[in-house]
Amino acid sequence: MYINEIVVYIGEILVAIGVFCDLAASIGMLRFPNFYVRLHAATVGTIGGAFVPLIGIALIALGAEWLGTYRFFLAGASIITAIIIIILAPVGSHVLARATHRARLVKVEPKVVDHLEEDIKKKEGDENA
Amino acid sequence: MKKTDLFVIASIIVFILSLAYITALGGLGPLPPINVRRIAINYLNLTYNMFTPYLTVFALESVTSIVWDFRGLDTLYETAVFYAAIIASIALYRGVYIDFKKNIEKMGLSPIAKTVTRISLILIPTVAASVALHGHLTPGGGFQAGSIATVVIVLSIIIFSRYFLPIHGLSKNKALLFRSIGLLGIAVTSIALLLIAIVLGVNAYIFQNQAKIDAPLSFPSLVDNYILGGSLLFFNLFEFIAVAFGFTIVFLLLSISEEKVKKVTIDG
Repeated sequence: MYINEIVVYIGEILVAIGVFCDLAASIGMLRFPNFYVRLHAATVGTIGGAFVPLIGIALIALGAEWLGTYRFFLAGASIITAIIIIILAPVGSHVLARATHRARLVKVEPKVVDHLEEDIKKKEGDENA
Repeated sequence: MKKTDLFVIASIIVFILSLAYITALGGLGPLPPINVRRIAINYLNLTYNMFTPYLTVFALESVTSIVWDFRGLDTLYETAVFYAAIIASIALYRGVYIDFKKNIEKMGLSPIAKTVTRISLILIPTVAASVALHGHLTPGGGFQAGSIATVVIVLSIIIFSRYFLPIHGLSKNKALLFRSIGLLGIAVTSIALLLIAIVLGVNAYIFQNQAKIDAPLSFPSLVDNYILGGSLLFFNLFEFIAVAFGFTIVFLLLSISEEKVKKVTIDG
């Protein structure tokens, strides 16, 4: 059956994408100018560099018939870890960004739109009025 | 690169190299032997060995076997030290009450963080329970599982509010009760075979897991082809409960504000 080989190749492509994302994220962490932009690089590292290759590993494990029933354990563990990462990682960066914004530690720059600041201004305006 | 940076890097390299040289010469105490030591060979041979039924533990994880069987009494006293420390911290906070607030919707972090924490609050105890209940099969055990479960407490204090746990029924006294149940479980497990042996009129030891040559009683080690590890399963389970709720007490007490504690401890 070619289906196993195809699944393995798709998984290997996903792992390769993960390697690229990890590399890009680590370059970004070093080269990006300020906290918020570096946070973007960190998210590329967790979603692209951890979630995507874990799905790839699950596919590789499913395609590796010589592992017997253990491949289902491997695939299941990888998929569960991937789901947990995709639930938790965005919240981590959300909490970091929000805390930094509220503490006014870093200037938001380059800025296109800042809804949080607009909300805070609106709230202060309501209280003053 | 500045001159000071170069100096720092060079001094670190010199420090590491000289430390390695001294260690290799045996200046920091005798060098460990290259071969596997005899005590390690004994542990590895006896962890799961059905050909020596009077010496083996019948569990797959040798570290847990050492911790709760080969040197079980030592672990019991380590546990006792940990609980004495928790009792001391409760005594320090004597008279400080954890106050109660009903409306905590506006406290804590953003709704996004709260929603995701509600999901992960269920996942973390599941992981902890699996670490505790597989303690005799895979690396892990009661203390590690209890520490994992404590993450729930820290998360809920930071993300919701410190009133979240008391509102949902986990007060300090309840945690103390569960911690005591855990400790009692460890105590009963360590003398369970002895109590049965007194009734039956045979020999037994404290902290006995499997049958010895002069003590025929043993904990169930294999039920329906599942390896239970004898007393290790019970020890891990009760240690998990005791450690998790012991840490819970400490974190509940630590989350009380300093002004309030000082009002009680200094002003009386």
